[in-house]
Amino acid sequence: MNLGISATEFVSQVREGAISVEEFVAKTLERIEKVDGKIHAFITVDSQNALEKAKAIDKKIKSKEKTGICFGMPVSIKDNICTAGLKTTCASKMLENFVAPYDATVTSRLKSEDAIIIGKVNLDEFAMGSTTEHSNFGPTRNPWNTDYVPGGSSGGSGASVAALECLASLGSDTGGSVRSPASFCSVVGLKPTYGMISRYGLVSYANSIEQIGPIAKTVEDVAFLLNIISGHDVHDNTTAKNQNIDYVKDLKSGISGKKIGIISQMTGDGVDKEVASATNTAISKLQDLGAQCVSISLDAVEHSIAAYYTIAAAEASSNLSRYDNLRYGFDFGTEGYEFKAFISKARSNFGPEVIRRMLLGAFVLSAGYYGKYYLKAQKVRAMIKAQLDEAFKKVDYLISPTMPILPFKVGEKIDDPLKLYLTDINTVTANLSGIPAISVPFAMSSSGLPIGIQLFADSFKEKELLQAAYSLQETTNLPEMTL
Amino acid sequence: MVERKEIEHLADLVKVDLSEPEKYIKQVEQILNYFDSLDHVEFHSDDTLGIQIAKDDLRDDVYEPYGDSLIEHLKKDQNNFIRAPKMV
Amino acid sequence: MTRIGLEIHCQLTKLASKLFCSCKAEYRNTTPNSNICPVCVGIPGSLPLLNKKAVEKAAMISLALGCTIPEKIGFFRKNYFYPDLPKNFQITQYNAYGPTSIGSDGKIEIEGKTIRIRRIQLEEDPGRLVYEGTSEKTMITLVDYNRAGTPLVEIVTEPDFETPKQVRVFLNVLADLVENIGVADPYLEGAMRVDGNISEGDGNRVEIKNVGSFRDVEKALHFEITRQQSLVERGITVLAETRHWDEARRITVSSRSKEDEQDYRYLPEADIPIVLIGNNSVEQIKTQMPESIVARRERYIKKYGMPAQVADVLSSDRFYSDLFDKSHNEKNAKEVSNIITTDLMGVADTREKKLELKITPKHVSELADAIMENKLTRNSGKSALHEMVKSGKSLADVMTSLDLGHVSDAGSIEKIIDEVFKEEEKAVAEAKQNPDTINYLVGKVMRKTKGKADPTTTLEILRKKLAG
Repeated sequence: MNLGISATEFVSQVREGAISVEEFVAKTLERIEKVDGKIHAFITVDSQNALEKAKAIDKKIKSKEKTGICFGMPVSIKDNICTAGLKTTCASKMLENFVAPYDATVTSRLKSEDAIIIGKVNLDEFAMGSTTEHSNFGPTRNPWNTDYVPGGSSGGSGASVAALECLASLGSDTGGSVRSPASFCSVVGLKPTYGMISRYGLVSYANSIEQIGPIAKTVEDVAFLLNIISGHDVHDNTTAKNQNIDYVKDLKSGISGKKIGIISQMTGDGVDKEVASATNTAISKLQDLGAQCVSISLDAVEHSIAAYYTIAAAEASSNLSRYDNLRYGFDFGTEGYEFKAFISKARSNFGPEVIRRMLLGAFVLSAGYYGKYYLKAQKVRAMIKAQLDEAFKKVDYLISPTMPILPFKVGEKIDDPLKLYLTDINTVTANLSGIPAISVPFAMSSSGLPIGIQLFADSFKEKELLQAAYSLQETTNLPEMTL
Repeated sequence: MVERKEIEHLADLVKVDLSEPEKYIKQVEQILNYFDSLDHVEFHSDDTLGIQIAKDDLRDDVYEPYGDSLIEHLKKDQNNFIRAPKMV
Repeated sequence: MTRIGLEIHCQLTKLASKLFCSCKAEYRNTTPNSNICPVCVGIPGSLPLLNKKAVEKAAMISLALGCTIPEKIGFFRKNYFYPDLPKNFQITQYNAYGPTSIGSDGKIEIEGKTIRIRRIQLEEDPGRLVYEGTSEKTMITLVDYNRAGTPLVEIVTEPDFETPKQVRVFLNVLADLVENIGVADPYLEGAMRVDGNISEGDGNRVEIKNVGSFRDVEKALHFEITRQQSLVERGITVLAETRHWDEARRITVSSRSKEDEQDYRYLPEADIPIVLIGNNSVEQIKTQMPESIVARRERYIKKYGMPAQVADVLSSDRFYSDLFDKSHNEKNAKEVSNIITTDLMGVADTREKKLELKITPKHVSELADAIMENKLTRNSGKSALHEMVKSGKSLADVMTSLDLGHVSDAGSIEKIIDEVFKEEEKAVAEAKQNPDTINYLVGKVMRKTKGKADPTTTLEILRKKLAG
């Protein structure tokens, strides 16, 4: 049995009766057993339930009962998205035993289409990081070379799909957290338009800019998942109404006659040589397919990292206040403590990156500084959006490398947070402005490390974005996972 | 310059005991210096982004009891209360 | 000069659900932590869903207090750690970065004085702390989140009050007003809570918190003014601080807690989009607003010729003015207003007592008619009213059971007058000399008939007999 098939192929093979769900899930669990010790993508594996579900779905198919369109597809979910009855730890000591009493909207939508939640995957604590090294349960490693980071913060999602431990995964993208691991692990990752997917059940980090996004092996798979998880939700007032689009249909429409803008601020200085060369190749391949490429300057991008980390830290410091260990949390009694001493002691169990961002957040919001930092950061968002609006009058898409650098070694940049923050330069723009962006695996470096290309489109133009991504994907010929 | 005292004040605001505040000084200072680059941005507009909702699309005022007994999922003390530390 | 400003927290008790979730808005008398859901206890991943009607009710209060309602309103997080606050921030409104709060810049006239309203904001109530244990050592803190997320408005005034009495009058007017527009029951326990701030002359501002009742607000303010004035007289500077009202000792006590000098690190609540109110909505809300107390008072005076004092009393009480509006007709309006303001209001003056009243508009209307048609004297009417209030029986039944029928046939009255004339020879002689003393004899007749004799007929016959 080939675990390397795409989610879409899995669905058609199950429908045709070529494979059984139980067999595929059992093999997937064996695979996890075999390789996850090396990459540590999973925090929780729900083996027994997954097998029972698989059997039940096989039975439904056999008896010709109506079956959900996922047909038992094994899916992993980032451990900051709630799953009733299964731990949702956020890779934090603070929530090490936390079992959400409810399903996130995306979880229940997947379940109602007969997807099987095979387990919960690793992340940087509360999604703060871009390497998946900042997990209370230890780092995830890149399946293409386990000395290297898988990107982050949805590193568990990217690695689990790349390592054939599941067919697809849901991550969350606050500043690039779906696209970075997609790029570093050579899989496809989409950050949808803000308001497209319900955040109900996503544990907040920077709630004004983050979205849940699918990670899978192919663009078709991402379109398929988007059909299931997108749309208005009564539990989330920030979701947009009137979304009723089939993202799978017309996916192969091509990009002939379309205009693509190459963002000069994301392709010039500071981009790794091999990444730059891969980007140029991607551009010429798209031109070969009939697209017209022009250079576009978005000078507000220069301020995007400062604006992004100001907003993210401010919101994080507020969103993480609720973890005081009174109502839920790890085992630590209040006996003998005064209130402030108790919560300060409990909260010292956050990891250093989370604490650093909370301190920064407290600083930028403290009396007298709001106008200097937070408000200016908000104005940068509007400035970026205005420049993008101008750009999208001229072009249909924008393009850049997803990450300006190649994957690096575990531990290599952990002591220099600012340097690491700066590597988010190509991804944060989509979060600050709300527009969708996708990372498509495009090439391998000379050292065998993945390189992803990022495409952007205007808000709620996911259908067009996926068409372009599909076109780009069809120009590639990438190696198979050998781990 | 960020000083130890300032880090301790911030830690007090977010309620975290820092065993080694000095570990954070250099990095926080470096990052805040970087944030100061926002001072040099020339804005041509005071606009900010934000999504909107019409009043009529807000939730209707209907009481619906939460089906599950939520307290059973929480750290429950005597008589269904949550226990808090001593307040001074 | 003394300057007093107020912050009044008023729960929107007429709502069915909480401000951001579908739990019940009425949390009183429920088992601890039984009226909670992931949203109101801040379970990770939950999101607030703003209550539409809460926005409308808060808008009504804003309009009633002459505030401007902006086109768009927004919510902010006020960050501080406290165990009754499940998210360790409170979702509220904040005007520092533009007017996004439901109401601003209003005013209200109180006894000829204008009190300016700075701001009205919609926000969530925290949970409730319960302290158990006898000594400081054994004391434990327990939290009940049933109240967490209850919708309330905070009304902030400018420091326009000069005396505690003005404050009391204002609070009474405000309580009547929120009750009248149907947004709150101000007399429910904890439904309306008041903090004050006071300064003398150019002195520092002192905040007074923890005042349990309206009556105590006046006392606390009096105490604080005296305290500040005596400091000033002795040349001691008044400290800018927060003081708590100690109900038992009837003094204000410095809280000396750092918690009060907090930095709340306000930031926009991105989980709640900016809400578009718009002019149409405001106009629509205006049409849904009940008649204001002032308008109703005018109507009572103009249409029914009620004395100003009666109109005042009646119009400011939503319960009784509703009863009046439902029970009167063109003819009996004055009598109905008399019955309500002189008799009924004395019987039931608290919310609890009003709720216990078994009287209906039909009772009041029939009673007024009976008095006007001379079937009952005022006195008997009062007895009938008391009985109807208790039993809910019809007027006819009450008149029979209490034997309250009017004695108006001249024959029976004449007989009784004859009896009185025999017993009261001296008084009769006096009345012949001085007609002004006739009332004494009327009283005697009334006593003999237990108040049932028709006063007009009685007087007529008495006069005839005295003259003859």
